[in-house]
Amino acid sequence: MARVELDITRRQFFGAGLAGAAAIGAGTSPLAMRYPDPPWFATGEVTTTYNYCDMCPWKCGIAVQSVDGKVLKVDGNINDPKSRGMLCGRGQGGVSFMYDPDRLQSPMIRTGERGEGKFREVTWEEALDYTAEKILAIKEQYGPESLAIFGHTTGDFWFTDYFAQAWGTPNAGKPSSALCLSPRDEACNLTLGYPVGGHEPMDWDEIECVTFIGSHVGEDSRNTVMQDFIDARDRGAQIIVVDPRFSTAASKADYWLPIKPGTDTALLLAWVNVLIEENLFDREYIDQYAVGYDELEAHVKDLTPEWASTITELPADQIRETARVMGQRHPKAAIMPGRHTTWYGNDSQRMRTVFIINSLLGAYGRHGGMYFDKSPFIDSYPHPPFAVTGSAGGCSAEPGEEVSDELPLGPSGKARADGARETFLRGATAMQELIDPMINDDPYRIAGLIVYGVNLLNSVPMPSRTIEALKKLDFILAVDVLPQEHIAWADVVFPEATFLERYDELSTVPYKTPFIQMREPAVAPMYDTMPGWQMARELGLRVGLDAYFKWETVEEYLDTRLRSVGSSLEKMHDAGGVLIQEGKPYLEDFGDESPFRTPSGKIELFSEELAEAGFDPIPVFEPTEEPPDGYFRLLYGRVPVHTFAKTQNTPVLSDVYPENELWINEDEAAALGYSNGDRVWLENEAGDRTGPIPVKATQRIRKDAVFMAHGFGQQSEGLTNANGRGASDTKMMSRYKLDPISGGAGMRINFVRLVEGG
Amino acid sequence: MTSAFLLDMSRCIGCEACVVACKTGNELPIGRQYIELIEHTSGTFPNLTGGFQNQRCYHCSDATCVAVCPTGALFKDDGLTRLNRDACSGCGYCVQSCPYDVPKMSDGRASKCDACASNVGGGGSPWCVTTCPGKALKYGDREEILAEAHQRVDTIKGRYPNAQVYGETQAGGLGLILVLPDDPETLSIPADPPPTPASANLWKNWVQPISMGSTAVAVAGLGVLGVIARRNHIAEMNEVEGSEEAAVAAGDGSEGINDA
Repeated sequence: MARVELDITRRQFFGAGLAGAAAIGAGTSPLAMRYPDPPWFATGEVTTTYNYCDMCPWKCGIAVQSVDGKVLKVDGNINDPKSRGMLCGRGQGGVSFMYDPDRLQSPMIRTGERGEGKFREVTWEEALDYTAEKILAIKEQYGPESLAIFGHTTGDFWFTDYFAQAWGTPNAGKPSSALCLSPRDEACNLTLGYPVGGHEPMDWDEIECVTFIGSHVGEDSRNTVMQDFIDARDRGAQIIVVDPRFSTAASKADYWLPIKPGTDTALLLAWVNVLIEENLFDREYIDQYAVGYDELEAHVKDLTPEWASTITELPADQIRETARVMGQRHPKAAIMPGRHTTWYGNDSQRMRTVFIINSLLGAYGRHGGMYFDKSPFIDSYPHPPFAVTGSAGGCSAEPGEEVSDELPLGPSGKARADGARETFLRGATAMQELIDPMINDDPYRIAGLIVYGVNLLNSVPMPSRTIEALKKLDFILAVDVLPQEHIAWADVVFPEATFLERYDELSTVPYKTPFIQMREPAVAPMYDTMPGWQMARELGLRVGLDAYFKWETVEEYLDTRLRSVGSSLEKMHDAGGVLIQEGKPYLEDFGDESPFRTPSGKIELFSEELAEAGFDPIPVFEPTEEPPDGYFRLLYGRVPVHTFAKTQNTPVLSDVYPENELWINEDEAAALGYSNGDRVWLENEAGDRTGPIPVKATQRIRKDAVFMAHGFGQQSEGLTNANGRGASDTKMMSRYKLDPISGGAGMRINFVRLVEGG
Repeated sequence: MTSAFLLDMSRCIGCEACVVACKTGNELPIGRQYIELIEHTSGTFPNLTGGFQNQRCYHCSDATCVAVCPTGALFKDDGLTRLNRDACSGCGYCVQSCPYDVPKMSDGRASKCDACASNVGGGGSPWCVTTCPGKALKYGDREEILAEAHQRVDTIKGRYPNAQVYGETQAGGLGLILVLPDDPETLSIPADPPPTPASANLWKNWVQPISMGSTAVAVAGLGVLGVIARRNHIAEMNEVEGSEEAAVAAGDGSEGINDA
């Protein structure tokens, strides 16, 4: 509300309806006389539209300010429970993302060879007709399952979820699953009976001890988490950070544990040992809500801090002390589940240990622990039953709800081609496991690919394997805003309007207070671009899916949904772009009902399901491969002003942080003859090279690993700012280790050395 | 009553939201930036401390930049140091004399934070303040900001025994009041910046007003300063880039140098 008032104040100050310059000239402040150029908000009527930010997956509610059809500023929406009027640097860069001169401007059809990047511009009519013809041919020849759909970022709903399910392919995937969240969500499912949920439901307002295992708050600039973290810390909450690198979070911590990479499970098991041995856990809570305590106690009996110390290279005293700091504060203590958890290929077991500790602390459903999040209530737009349900897999269940882990089957009876149930136990579609079937037709041929907003060659490990697949596919449609590297391999390119230029599906946020966010356009789509919903609909109408796209306009679609909760597009705009509902965050809100929908109806410290499938029912530490002599383990992460491999070209963000740096221990760098700012190349064991990248020689990292921000080192001539800037972590990933429980791709098993020249 | 910023470094998480909000809110072109975050580390692995120096205008009361500015482009207002770029001759004296190394040259003119003069004039807050997710930044009456700074130091003493307020007295009192977890030197901030040279004050207080009072003298003065400025700028460009264009521009003294 304050924000809106401010705008009015500004306008009044500068004189509504008057030309800005004249208003300033006539202003009462002598200062105004000295500023000949009026600020943007004084140059005309300011229009505010509401949106949720698409600059990272966190989706902060934003207020978008435009003057005369030009978007000038985005700010956090003061009404939004996530942004609370504030916004990170990436979000502030949204306007620059939209006005990026490198944007794709017109639909295109390939004229050269795949990979050459030669296209002719075509009309939407031709691009859509051609695409429809191609995918129908694939359906005819191989069945609908042979079209894979990859999607990322907020608009992917229309392709990866809606179109995929209507069309009938179970082979839809998102990098946010098996390249990121899968281990933590499947481990949570196995332990608690529901996935973590998008927003790591920590009860920040009352928490007294927060532990991060490799989470980089500050460098990972999720707005709400930064706000909550700083407030909790300021209240006196103890902060424990486990990280091989002295991250920003570590610099704010009370305890920093510079762990040897790959040994986290040993540390976690030793913490369990101390909590149990010293009786620092919530015995009553465990008795009431958990099963398998006796087995757990026996399991960790010898897993002492001294045992873990030799593995983790951390002092036993530090392990013991930090366990006590946590235990003494239970239930107002928890380990942050984190997000990117696909590290070493045994990640579900590590994450299960995290959830076991949080359970011992009695955190779930307790004030100051981990609250139960709840999705907002709202009806879907009525549509016929989908041909496939749950194409991209994933787990939408919430505490107290039954989790379905049935594998979706396509209309011709084919299950997912990603090896689910064979090479891994459960969970969402493992996108990276769909690449091999594209190459060797096993278990069946994947002949077509729609790739929406995924930076394919800069996010999926083993990019040379991906290129092999791109060569072999019958048809590739790329939907994107920018000419990303893989666009050169597409047969058809659909240029999309950015989030500031389009309506979109509502964002329904599971939260302590569930809420709904709207996205409305600030301006009409630029160039010859089209919103994703419209592309999906136009394509749907051309391939016989009319029944799923009954609505004429997206406004009608959104209005129909919003009416089911007593609102409408207009009402929601007038209410400030957000609809907030009541949650059910604590155990007391569940009464006699169990929020834990595991097979036992309790928290499973011991997992029968894992035992039956032949896995360790209680996590066991497994060593991970060590870097060979002369090589460093490649760790990767974030810098605050960039997201994934998506924002490196955004002019204002590139201006602030143009290329990544290679963090290397100062002593190691000196031994190799490098100092700060030297530009080096990286080479992995397979001989692939990436670079050049400037050296950041620092005390802030262990000697056995190097670190750099993900998403740089892109190679696309169409990307003025990103092309050739920095080094690519993805291009160093010549292998990954599949997590046999969740299907996650463990990527921190690649080793690099510093070399001269590419 | 004067205004001031509060910057609580115990709450700064280095996310650079302020950096980008400043650029977008003030419509700064590519290459111009009023805030820069510089990571600092003390100690050796694994006994480390770290923080972020927020390199931005400190808004000194005794502002050397204002004292040396020959055109009045830099001036004090509401306790803050403002900049009217249109009046800047590009001499670079402010760049050379700032004890905090803040002003930069951009497109041939001085460039630095003016505390969002255009924005706060209407009753709003500077862009960096409104967006800061750590709520490390505040803006308001300087007396209230100072009182809050002292209160904050008391609050964080438990975690930071050496916490202190910075800016109460430095350079005649700053318009950017810092709450520091440790001595300022740990973030490469001078404990006591050198005072404005007496000669600069003399010039500012006596010579400039007289010259500005007379149009003819002012125009002549500006003409001379303009030449000096151009010479300085060209010399700087040659030094930095050694670029051919700069050398050519220096030769013909063309006006286009600002765009070079």
